[in-house]
Amino acid sequence: MTPPLFPTQEIGSLAKPRWQLLGQRGDPLDSAARADLLAEDARLSFGQELSAVRDGLLAGRAREVGAEAVRDLGALYALRFLEAAGLDRVYDGEARRIEMYEYPVRQMHGFRFQGHVRSFDSKYYLKAAVVDEVRLTAPYHSEEFDFVRRHARAEPKLPITGPYTLADWSYNEYYLARQPGWKGRAARRAAQREFVIDLARRALRPTLQALIDHGCRVIQVDEPAAGTHPDEAELVVEGFNAATEGLDAEFTMHICYSDYRALLPALLEAKRCRQWAWEFANRDSSAHDGYAVLKALREFGDTRAVGLGVIDVHRDIVEPPHVVAERIRRAAGYLGDPARLWINPDCGLRTRSLSVARAKLDAMVEGARLARAEFENPRR
Amino acid sequence: MIVRAGLTSPFPRSESLVEATRDLDRGRTTAEAVEELFASTEAEVVALERRLGLDSLTGGYLRWPDLFRPIAESWEGFAVGPLTRWFETNTFFRQPVLLAPPVRTPGAIRARLPRPVREAPSEGRVLLPGPYTFAGLLDNRSGETDPAVVHRLGRLLADEVKELRSLGLTVFQFTDPLLVVRPPEGHFAEATVAAYDAVREAVAGGTSIVWTFGADAGPAMPLLDRLRPSVVGIDLAETDPETLPVDPHRAGLGLGVVDARTTLSEDPAEVARIVRAAVERRRPSSVWVGPGGPLDLLPWEPATRKLHVLPAVKQGLGSGGGP
Repeated sequence: MTPPLFPTQEIGSLAKPRWQLLGQRGDPLDSAARADLLAEDARLSFGQELSAVRDGLLAGRAREVGAEAVRDLGALYALRFLEAAGLDRVYDGEARRIEMYEYPVRQMHGFRFQGHVRSFDSKYYLKAAVVDEVRLTAPYHSEEFDFVRRHARAEPKLPITGPYTLADWSYNEYYLARQPGWKGRAARRAAQREFVIDLARRALRPTLQALIDHGCRVIQVDEPAAGTHPDEAELVVEGFNAATEGLDAEFTMHICYSDYRALLPALLEAKRCRQWAWEFANRDSSAHDGYAVLKALREFGDTRAVGLGVIDVHRDIVEPPHVVAERIRRAAGYLGDPARLWINPDCGLRTRSLSVARAKLDAMVEGARLARAEFENPRR
Repeated sequence: MIVRAGLTSPFPRSESLVEATRDLDRGRTTAEAVEELFASTEAEVVALERRLGLDSLTGGYLRWPDLFRPIAESWEGFAVGPLTRWFETNTFFRQPVLLAPPVRTPGAIRARLPRPVREAPSEGRVLLPGPYTFAGLLDNRSGETDPAVVHRLGRLLADEVKELRSLGLTVFQFTDPLLVVRPPEGHFAEATVAAYDAVREAVAGGTSIVWTFGADAGPAMPLLDRLRPSVVGIDLAETDPETLPVDPHRAGLGLGVVDARTTLSEDPAEVARIVRAAVERRRPSSVWVGPGGPLDLLPWEPATRKLHVLPAVKQGLGSGGGP
């Protein structure tokens, strides 16, 4: 089915409802969590599809229900949450995932977790070192996708962490040790390239192949680390191309909070990428046009689709639909082709409460509708 | 030749400290219990520094949230701003926002120094932000030009040094990676030289260290030499020693030989070889070895393990006496 002009899509994770977090831990729901589950079930009617899980949670039998079943209910809730907002492409809000690094790395041989590193203040993340040649233990995300495919009413789209980001967020021991002599800049670069390519070929590609075999048609490769080292944009692309080589699916690449101009034109060599899903709203203000960077794509003659971030995920203020529509209009002007735009939040909405996320998604869908009406019925 | 070794950045928090500070955030433990653990972990870092034969003690600066916060939270004119990426890493700092010309608060930094540094000042190493990096990474809404802020921060840091000197502290490191990541030019360069003139005067009789990392120091060496500190520190993971010019002042040469971006331990023989290459080029009066970039980019265990290369290098190069 041909999508409408300015179709809308999810882009990343949602916050998990409290009833899911309590339920996964085997804790009984408190009154607020119970009320929330009942209210959202009344709104979205997701509970009846997994009524035994819902009823078990409401009856205080979370331990008996089991964490996996609670995750199923959480995934179904997120799916219906996104569908109810009217999105054309959806996923499960990454309801089963804790984060985007540790889980994939745990599905591979060759990594050893080293301990916690401070991100800021008293926030930390667990970081692994690659200590042996990377090998995939088993393809991942397939079961997660199967669940979404069985239940989705809109088109499903799966997000997966890309090889460059997995490498960048790891310590490189194995590949660096193979470099002769002092481990200076040139040695580190050569070692990182080997690491990224091994991850792409040995881990990502078979996982992507398995997902395609399970019926996954739209896959978003997340490369948030790409913006950290603009001088390595070619390596991001090399990893992407190696991971997707010979595969038939609609691949998109999500990069956020980056100076996109610094990544161009190197990024444009990502052969099988059919959509750039970037963040713009975060940097858009009366003083600064956050969408002007799109002109660069036109300058380079790139004609791929753009996943247009129109919702800032770092602020609670809900963008009014007319602001969303204006952003779409502006972006369409810079690209010179409105049909290339998909509309989405800048990044995952997990940093916002579900009520704020819902309001923002509603505004986004309405803004896309307004823009669509303008383009399809232009005033004379 | 005199060879010295020491930490050049905060040390990572131990896994138990990670757990305790997380628990504190979640209301599962008390501030007193966490404070006790901070103190015992500081003591552990000092014991490690002594065991490795390091020449100055830091206690790890474990409580410092980032390089700027102790100042941004205590000096007048500052507010604490948004989370901002620390160079090309996955670590973030709160960007200082300068709302008015800054005014130093006497006693504020002293109170925030690790207890081991306060209690044994003659052995302690004070870590402070370099004026150029500080000015370059803050959000300047003070109405002063950016070069003027560089100069003013240099003068204020000099006042800070004078206060700390009066307490017996003698070794002052100014962490200034932006000097090599984005070397200052024109008015910025002159303001940076003026800022360090003030600092150098305040440190007189002690040791001033300008520590850089994160990029090749080669192109910035002419400017670094103009700053005339006791020691110019460069990151050997980024800098090819063959490109270094001879130091006209024969100042001390700081060499970052422990790479905090990898858990792979350095080979002492390789480190000794590259240190010799740098020494042959620069012909310094003394050599100061330590981690290149911030060691707290590593977890506690690999950071501890990797530091063991320092005494091996020091021994290999032949160490002299005290400063």
